[in-house]
Amino acid sequence: MADIVMPRLSDSMEEGTVLAWLKKVGDEIAIGDEIVEIETDKANMAYESDVAGTLTEILAEEGATLAIGTPIARVGDSGEGSERPAGGGEGGTESGPAPAEAAESEPLVTSSATPDAGRVKASPVAKRMAKEQGLDLASIQGSGPGGRIVKSDVKKATKAEPSAPVAPEAAETAKGQTTYEDLSKLQSTIARRMSESKATAPHFYLEAEIDMSRAVEARARIKAAAGEGDVVPSFNDMVVKACALALREHPRANGAYRDGRFELYSRVNVGVAVAAQDALVVPTVFDADRKGLRQIATDSRALAQRVREGTITPPELSGGTFTVSNLGMYGIDNFSAVINTPQAAILAVGAIKERPVVRGGELASAQMLYVTLACDHRILYGAPAAEFLARVRTLLEEPLSLAL
Amino acid sequence: MAELRMREALRDAMAEEMRRDEGVFVIGEDVAVFQGAFKVTEGLIDEFGERRVRDTPISENTIVGAGVGAAMGGLRPVVELMTVNFSLLALDQIINHAAAIPYMFNGQAKVPMVIRMPGGGGHQLGPTHSHSFEALFLQIPGLLVACPSTPADGKALLKAAIRDDNPVIFIEHESLYGVRGEVPEGEDEVLPFGKAAVRREGGDVTIIGVLKMAQVAQDAAGKLASEHGVEAEVIDPRTLRPLDLDTILESVRKTNRAVIVEEGWPHGGVGANLATLITEQAFDDLDAPVQRVTGADVHMPYSRRLEQAAIPHEEHVVSAALATLEGSI
Repeated sequence: MADIVMPRLSDSMEEGTVLAWLKKVGDEIAIGDEIVEIETDKANMAYESDVAGTLTEILAEEGATLAIGTPIARVGDSGEGSERPAGGGEGGTESGPAPAEAAESEPLVTSSATPDAGRVKASPVAKRMAKEQGLDLASIQGSGPGGRIVKSDVKKATKAEPSAPVAPEAAETAKGQTTYEDLSKLQSTIARRMSESKATAPHFYLEAEIDMSRAVEARARIKAAAGEGDVVPSFNDMVVKACALALREHPRANGAYRDGRFELYSRVNVGVAVAAQDALVVPTVFDADRKGLRQIATDSRALAQRVREGTITPPELSGGTFTVSNLGMYGIDNFSAVINTPQAAILAVGAIKERPVVRGGELASAQMLYVTLACDHRILYGAPAAEFLARVRTLLEEPLSLAL
Repeated sequence: MAELRMREALRDAMAEEMRRDEGVFVIGEDVAVFQGAFKVTEGLIDEFGERRVRDTPISENTIVGAGVGAAMGGLRPVVELMTVNFSLLALDQIINHAAAIPYMFNGQAKVPMVIRMPGGGGHQLGPTHSHSFEALFLQIPGLLVACPSTPADGKALLKAAIRDDNPVIFIEHESLYGVRGEVPEGEDEVLPFGKAAVRREGGDVTIIGVLKMAQVAQDAAGKLASEHGVEAEVIDPRTLRPLDLDTILESVRKTNRAVIVEEGWPHGGVGANLATLITEQAFDDLDAPVQRVTGADVHMPYSRRLEQAAIPHEEHVVSAALATLEGSI
């Protein structure tokens, strides 16, 4: 008998929602079979079993949102063994020093008790306080081990409580009737991450005009020379490549301020913001500094396709060290973006338009692009940020350098 | 106040009680001419003579039996067993006689004796000479159990033990004999059994340390404060039976968290017992499972490194305390 628990499917995942069971009680399951669809903070994923046997019990109903590690189903013996591979960080509570050799001996305590999936886990004092204050434990997010609600969570909830709950049948206001929509997990994540970013990262903005005339010409030539089925890099792919090359030269821009330290990353992974169904996700082009333009184009096209299909996986949405956000296709000239924390900066890219420019006192026309770099001033200061952005501009104004 | 080592404080307790009461005498292996295997009875034979400081053959069951008889006859013997390990040879006298007689005779016979015994590991004495039997004696009804961690407590508790009409198991720790501390002077500095000491005040987690582990708990509390911003309250129960559960519960009701540190084995240990008492009586005040830090569930290895690995240290207490605070800091 083995438990299947809510898996950790992304590094930032704390809980997941069971969307649909792909197997039913009584089904035989092999290792690697997709058994359940889980909605994480980043994506919807089919979870593959790491145990084999018969699905004997489903503990989490579809729609249930549970902390990672919470059992969601049980798998029992079929003809073959249903041994779970070793794992799981939940150790015993005996905290005596580990005897160096006795570690091989039998465990002190073996317990097969598992928490009931539907039960809200709360410490005794948290339960008492919630009862005294008339709070519903189910409405409180637990921060203790395995999502246990502890005293500090109830205290926080008590402080947050005073706002009167919205009356369900509220009278019509000057705004007319109000409908309320629950956020999807992804939308909640966006709401939380964006407010965190603006509240904690001191943003400042650098704007630049980039003459894309040569880039426009270059792309036209690439397009003309392209054979059937060849991928033609977009201007955004060029921006990604230019940023990646500049990031390699400016380590602070390819880093993060976190817990009082600078984190500087050895890989340059550029995230590309993509609009999904009623949401926004940022798939990652890994090692963009080392990839050719065509490879970047191929990658980002495939990623965008998977975002639209809803088949993108958390690993593909993680690991970014910088983000590019492009609204040029909507005809937006220029805008400022919110940093995708903990990254150091984000580049907002507008539309390329033919504009009048002054060259040596003469009026001329050029294909101009406006970009805005939003920087976290805790790690990326004004002058280095300006150097970084100037480098991006130089690279884009001489697109041949993107191929070097 | 005088600064004394633990062994000197214990010696003074016996000497003062012997001066005060003619019925008090000391008996054990090497306690007289050799002045005690750990020199705790040093000088007693010179002052009180062979009649009241008596050497015996190696015969633990008989030594304790002689003490039981003497106590029933109206004397107040202080029996020294060379180490706690040898008390196993005398368990029949300790459990079936000393502990049971007052009950069997409905109080008409008393056994006012003290059985002193040093224990604990840390000296590479191997599996048969490093026992921590606090839990074993704690389990026996009729026995009082003392485990002092400071010279002042050692003296004041031993005096109280000698004056008490019940048989007292007085557990000393070999590593604490050389520890110095301020000891109040005066014949009547007696510490009643069943009064815990709050060694350090704090509001975040209660750490209860037994015998030498009371000291380890205090060191851990210092580290928790300086490195983790956690204020631990450290309680030294000083006697396990009677136990000052009130002081412990009062602290747990304040901190909502408890860690118990002992040198003995985990199963059925002092910590297991205390964790149950706390859970039974302060369940609604707990914010995390009670944590135990115990000696490893093995026989004590000879190898220094393995032996050290089998004994609780400061860092184990720190991590157990932090475990109770997960989610709260």
